[in-house]
Amino acid sequence: MKQTNSIYLYQNTFSSLLSLIQLLIEAKIKPINIKNTNYTPSLFDTIITLEINEKDGINFWISKTTKEIIKTTYYIFLSNNPEKELIIYYFLLNSLKYQNKIFYLRRLNCVTKALKISHQVTNEAHKFKGFTRFKELKNHILYAEIAPENDILILLSHHFKNRLKNEYWIIKDTNRQIISIYDKNKFYIVDNNILKIDHLATTMENEKIEKLWKSFYKTIGIKERQNDRCRMNFMPKKYWKNMLEMSEEIEKNNK
Amino acid sequence: MNLEEKLKILADSAKYDASCSSSGSTRKSKNGIGNTAYAGICHSFASDGRCISLLKILLTNCCIFDCKYCLNRKSNTIQRAIFTPEEIAKITINFYKRNYIEGLFLSSGILKNPDYTMNLLIKTIELLRHKYRFGGYIHAKAIPGASETSLKKLGSLVDRLSANIELPTESSLKLLAPNKEISKVDNIMQYIKKNHQKNFVPAGQSTQMIIGATKETDKDIIGKSESLYHHYQLKRVFYSAYIPVNQDKLLPRLKIPPLKRENRLYQADWLLRYYGFTTQDLLDDKNPNFNLLLDPKADYAVRHINEFPKEINTCSYKDLLKIPGIGIKSAKRIASSRKLFTLQFKDLKNMGVVLKRAKYFITCNHKYFINPEYFEKKFIESNLILEDKEKLTQTKKQLSFFE
Repeated sequence: MKQTNSIYLYQNTFSSLLSLIQLLIEAKIKPINIKNTNYTPSLFDTIITLEINEKDGINFWISKTTKEIIKTTYYIFLSNNPEKELIIYYFLLNSLKYQNKIFYLRRLNCVTKALKISHQVTNEAHKFKGFTRFKELKNHILYAEIAPENDILILLSHHFKNRLKNEYWIIKDTNRQIISIYDKNKFYIVDNNILKIDHLATTMENEKIEKLWKSFYKTIGIKERQNDRCRMNFMPKKYWKNMLEMSEEIEKNNK
Repeated sequence: MNLEEKLKILADSAKYDASCSSSGSTRKSKNGIGNTAYAGICHSFASDGRCISLLKILLTNCCIFDCKYCLNRKSNTIQRAIFTPEEIAKITINFYKRNYIEGLFLSSGILKNPDYTMNLLIKTIELLRHKYRFGGYIHAKAIPGASETSLKKLGSLVDRLSANIELPTESSLKLLAPNKEISKVDNIMQYIKKNHQKNFVPAGQSTQMIIGATKETDKDIIGKSESLYHHYQLKRVFYSAYIPVNQDKLLPRLKIPPLKRENRLYQADWLLRYYGFTTQDLLDDKNPNFNLLLDPKADYAVRHINEFPKEINTCSYKDLLKIPGIGIKSAKRIASSRKLFTLQFKDLKNMGVVLKRAKYFITCNHKYFINPEYFEKKFIESNLILEDKEKLTQTKKQLSFFE
């Protein structure tokens, strides 16, 4: 089989990818491309699906590398980078050899890329810990929509599970059409079409609170120090869409 | 007066306090709502580019003091308001639940006397912590002149407790804040330092100085900060460029707040806290103020050019921190990586070193980045200044492009 057009498939999960990479490394195959099952092959592609035991894969990497390496790999897995699978492959391949020293080997291209992407993901997750805005629905469920570039919903859910422990909440990632539902015990991430949310009506009380927040936001900025550039640096426009206090600014900008 | 009007007045009166941090505390959420994140979280950024992490308000803007620079001074005829503890608790919980904020920043004008005011603060925060079981971040301001009993009580409820020294010298304070005694602020700081522990002010204390309202030099100010960090183990000193809110013959007539100067002080403050610099390194009697054209670290390097260039592969970690363009993170990366292999210029770029700045001050494997003939003070200085100017015009262009 010619390797040039070969594309190896995995089942969209982190453990499936780890298992596939283990198999490839053991068979000494350097893949040209690894894609998940959503991939639409072109005419010249040869799709290869190996028989994967997901459990074995996870155990293999846990025993052969470190917590830090697996964590970094996981963050890359959550990124929207189209080449993330190959980057993970080379990062893990080198990790077998260098273990935690790999974090200092930025002269290896795959390490620089891997650390950069992993940082982008954790960074975005951190931003959304602050920038996510909930509203209270009539049934007292807190509801938020976010539009992140990377698949950070799971990271964010862990944060709010601790913080808003005794509230029911739902967060929807509108870019991926997935939602996280928390029932005061666990959160579940499901496809948007599995659960239909059609009662998004909020209470009068909620409107009052939103008005208070908007007027607080306007008041707290010091006019003599106005600095749009600085604000934009810390809070780029791509985050504004779902931020209540920015609605007037967006309108102003659209005019 | 409705709740929104009150909030407007009491947020407007609180906005001049520069403190914004919500870091340094790790409370897990128990039965109630909320926890704290050690690194702190910014929830929004105001039109002035400052981070909003806490609901920053005064309990009341009524005050028996008459500090010249303060919007809330007794002799000003402005609208006065006072929150009830229940109102503050309600807004805080509702904002927190919707993830607008990381917690509460509560300060106050002085009503009747210091302890009376302290008790109002305590009552409010007790309500939040006990009735509403609020586990989020709380930063409270201690009122100068408060008794130890009330400091003890308030300190055990909050994450951060602080008192503002406002001005760097006692004479300035006497001039502009005749009711405020520096010894009373000192007492608070001393008390917090002595009792600081896991259940008392876990996130430590901070303070704030107003910049440009009085005649002090940068050396006076940074020197004061240095001694505060040393004596009271403060977490932060905040600098607030003076904004004229009152007319008074004792106050300078500034049109624009000294923002560049404030920026230089913040940069120098970081150098004190994390980079091993001292006030003496940065300023002396001949140059008591920071160079407005060049940041303090680059300025230091240019003035001490004979200590450079430093060899990246062998110089100490302490020396790495002295190099412009190298921050804490990249210094740590260099220190760990060079044990494994000899670093080249190319490696530095991957480590987050700003080569544009660092290149004048380093050798890598005994090679100088540019022609060694150019290793000369005047040449380096003018290049650095030019680069900063270019960067400024570039970002300005980019910004106008977006708008």
